[in-house]
Amino acid sequence: MVSGIVARARSMWRGVRQRRGVEADMNDEFRLHVELRAADLVRSGLSPAAAARQAKLEFGSTERYKEDGRRSRGLRRVDDLRMSWLDFKLGFRMLVRYPGLTLVGGLAMAFAIWIGAGAFELATQIIRPSLPLPAGSEIVAIRNWDVAANQPEPHIAHDLATWRETLTSVTELGAYRALERNLIIGNGRGEPVEVAEITASAFRLTRVPPLMGRTLIESDERPGAPPAVVVGYDAWQARFGGDTAVVGKTVRLARSAVTVVGVMPKGFAFPVAQSFWVPLRLDAASYARREGPAISAFARLAPGTSLDEARAELTALGKRASIEFRDTHEHLRPQIMPYAKSIVNISGWRSVGVMSVNLPLLMLVALICGNVALLMFARAATRESEIIVRSALGAGRGRIIMQLFAEALVLGGVAAVVGLAAARSGLAWVMGVVEAEFLHGARLPFWFQSRLSPTTLLYAALLTIIAAAIAGIMPALKVTRGVGARLRQASAGSGGLRFGGVWTVVIVTQVAVTVAFPAVAFFVRRDAVQIEQVDVGFPTSQYLSARLEMDRDPPSAAPADTTRAAFAARFRTTYQELERRIAAEPNVRRIAFADRLPLMYHPHRLIAVDAGGAAPLHPAWPAGYRVSSASVSPSYFDAVDAPILTGRGFLASDHAVDLGEPGEPGARGGVVIVNRSFVNLVLGGRNPIGRRIQYVELEEWDGPRPPSESKAPWYEIVGVVRDLGMAVGSDGPAPSNNPESSKQAAGGDPKVAGIYHPVAPGGVYPAHMGIRVSGDPAAFAPRLRAIATEIDPTLRLYAVTPLSNVTESELQFLNFWFRMLLGVAAIALVLSLAGIYAVMSFTVARRTREIGVRIALGASHRRVATAIFRRPLMQVALGVLAGGVLVVLMTRAIAGELSATEAALVVAYVIAMMGICLVACIVPTRRAFRIEPTEALRAES
Amino acid sequence: MTDQAGLLPGTLDLLILKAVSLGRLHGYGVLLRIEQISGGALQIQQGALYPALYRLEHQGLISSEWGTSDNNRRAKYYRLTVLGRRRLGEETASWNRLAEAIARSLAATPQEV
Repeated sequence: MVSGIVARARSMWRGVRQRRGVEADMNDEFRLHVELRAADLVRSGLSPAAAARQAKLEFGSTERYKEDGRRSRGLRRVDDLRMSWLDFKLGFRMLVRYPGLTLVGGLAMAFAIWIGAGAFELATQIIRPSLPLPAGSEIVAIRNWDVAANQPEPHIAHDLATWRETLTSVTELGAYRALERNLIIGNGRGEPVEVAEITASAFRLTRVPPLMGRTLIESDERPGAPPAVVVGYDAWQARFGGDTAVVGKTVRLARSAVTVVGVMPKGFAFPVAQSFWVPLRLDAASYARREGPAISAFARLAPGTSLDEARAELTALGKRASIEFRDTHEHLRPQIMPYAKSIVNISGWRSVGVMSVNLPLLMLVALICGNVALLMFARAATRESEIIVRSALGAGRGRIIMQLFAEALVLGGVAAVVGLAAARSGLAWVMGVVEAEFLHGARLPFWFQSRLSPTTLLYAALLTIIAAAIAGIMPALKVTRGVGARLRQASAGSGGLRFGGVWTVVIVTQVAVTVAFPAVAFFVRRDAVQIEQVDVGFPTSQYLSARLEMDRDPPSAAPADTTRAAFAARFRTTYQELERRIAAEPNVRRIAFADRLPLMYHPHRLIAVDAGGAAPLHPAWPAGYRVSSASVSPSYFDAVDAPILTGRGFLASDHAVDLGEPGEPGARGGVVIVNRSFVNLVLGGRNPIGRRIQYVELEEWDGPRPPSESKAPWYEIVGVVRDLGMAVGSDGPAPSNNPESSKQAAGGDPKVAGIYHPVAPGGVYPAHMGIRVSGDPAAFAPRLRAIATEIDPTLRLYAVTPLSNVTESELQFLNFWFRMLLGVAAIALVLSLAGIYAVMSFTVARRTREIGVRIALGASHRRVATAIFRRPLMQVALGVLAGGVLVVLMTRAIAGELSATEAALVVAYVIAMMGICLVACIVPTRRAFRIEPTEALRAES
Repeated sequence: MTDQAGLLPGTLDLLILKAVSLGRLHGYGVLLRIEQISGGALQIQQGALYPALYRLEHQGLISSEWGTSDNNRRAKYYRLTVLGRRRLGEETASWNRLAEAIARSLAATPQEV
């Protein structure tokens, strides 16, 4: 059995591959036969000429036997599946002849391929990053993993020296430390930039020559060498205006004056996303084990060495160290990995998770192509006579299917080119959104690029073929089914082609999606509008906000006290000086200091209230309330126009001078002020003054109330303020003081409830300040930077923008989704309308004669319309209805119960969509009624 | 001509298998061999032999190779494969059963009924 299959496959393969050879072999074989026969006939007495004629006669038609021979090899079917250049030429002609279908179908497919390829590229770059550097796959990261602490040990200066000495499997071993420093050009204001303190070997390792000047070299690393900086291309353009004479200029990085020695070419941002490089002055050997600065190491695999070989060498070295230096290295295991994996490591099941993003998109591609198939089917149906004639002339079914497939492939190919061209800008867009939204303006690692890898192009080609298969073969199969029977009926032009059950499903789904998508877009837009229109009760557009950070290393003149407390004290002093100087500016009216300002994201933690104080928990939050918190200076509420409603404000004596980490306000207890939502929601409207609250860790208790012996500190409530935009975008009442909306708070998200802790100005880090200015706050930004730089060049200001803009990145993100959904909705709508139009036109064309006869016999237009269009209209109605149900379900899931107005809006929307869909029916219907009965009867039957 | 029997449908394959089972043959040789072993009683439409040969080769029952004919010409020779030999055995047995049954049926006399 198996050998039989093998023989068949072999003979078929030979036939396909050596088509000419097989042909020639058959000729040879037949000729030999005829000659041998003729020779025999001569021997039996015929003349040579007569014998030759007789032999040929006896053999019969060589062409026929050749054809039979080919068929018996199974080659006929293969021939059918061959696509000729002619098919493609025909496909191009079709593009031009049916511009409507080309535009609609092509755009839809381009959109599908755009999304599909873009997502695939992104997923690939995340899972299998490849460095865009010469021989980038040889670049590795080396780190010491602390198995006891389960985290990397960054103090590796000593190990670095050892590795440099010992390791033979890697070269150009170097290290870097990422810093943020103020760049000060001339005597101007400082702006924070990403700096890498890096060994000069990095530039040899990356093999990227400088665009201008030179890179860092070993002599820059020597103590006492003139300080040098290399500038990245983008920074050169943005900060130096692309000055070609920049090399040799002196700028300041925080306190130190450095000379620009070179400019790197565009795209160079090694080690991660840096744009300034200064030498790492690290006398590695002088550090004790596990001491020195926190650095990261990188290297290039030695020529001809594999990662595994390098790993083996490093592991052996690590084993020796862990035995030799038990005190420090017992738990340290050196690791080596592809460079990008040390920064972004997604592997195992998580990479499957990332890759699975492609699945729904593949389905989207299939859905869109299913719709294009509908259009292609309508077109193929209008060409039914052509297909029947071709079949009569001997074209096999496979041959005709392949022709339609080729046509779809041409359409898909054109669409793929358009889609891929757009994919690059799409990727750039997505990466921009990611940087703004998730990285808060920081840059993605340099290997994330808006380029398309060869793998992605291959994937896009595969998508195109799948798309063409769905859009071409599916309709072709249907249109060629029973073509022989139709041929016998001699009824070319009005055969039994119909839109069957599959198409009903396609049309209904498509209309439903069309109806539902704009609604989803509407919800996203509504969220955005909610954020845009949030009212925190003071004019945020008149406040300039800024985040403050400061370099950790103390000024070289000061005693080298690097403790946290020393830094905290230094930051507090610096901030208070800054506040004093700003307050003296003529157009500055008030200054608010806090760890985070209104409208910004506030962390939320679970709280408990002292016995008897709390209101019964709302059923939606059975485990207790997670409320927002912030640390603010005493003048804060004054500065944001929020008078104390009950109780008292913060006093200077309330300050817990505590430099907590973000989200850990004062760990010592003390007094707090709560907002109105807190009183309504958590305390059920009871008198808050004197009540005590504490933060609870979820693990500590599992009942509805915390155990009273919890060791967390208690805070006493001393005052109440109105809500001040702590949970923007969360469900809950708009911050307002009217009692009506306060009542609703009980059902809202508890994040709107908030607690304020007192801190001294400059008493938290990192910190935010909000400066109320008269006039345009943005215009005050340069002055603010200049003052800050003047006070302390290591004081870095981030996100200097009017306070009303802080929700911008979130808005951008929502708008990104809004535009995306709108795009999908527009495509769905256009496809839908085109599909409905195609079906209706098809129906009219199919039944021209019937319509004519009915009208001739006196049927009213209405009756004809119901008879002819009942089915398509039912499909549209069903689709709109299904879409409407979807919208209602989604609205309920997102917004809870529907109000009467909202319900009316949904109904109005559904009716409007129905109307739009019906518009697509008008033209074909009118065409149907314009049919002259005589003409219809004369139409080919 | 009347002493020559027309070929029953489906029997050509069997005859070809039998012919090449006696030694490797080229196409014309197959034809001559069938005429020879049937004592000239069976005649084959000459060209029709080739599609049958290709079909059998495609099914892996016979294999082919190029060689040189007696008159020093390039010729394609066919031989039986293992698969073909098995098939020939099965087909022969089946044919004999059929022929016997038909012969017995035709020999029946009124007395036997």
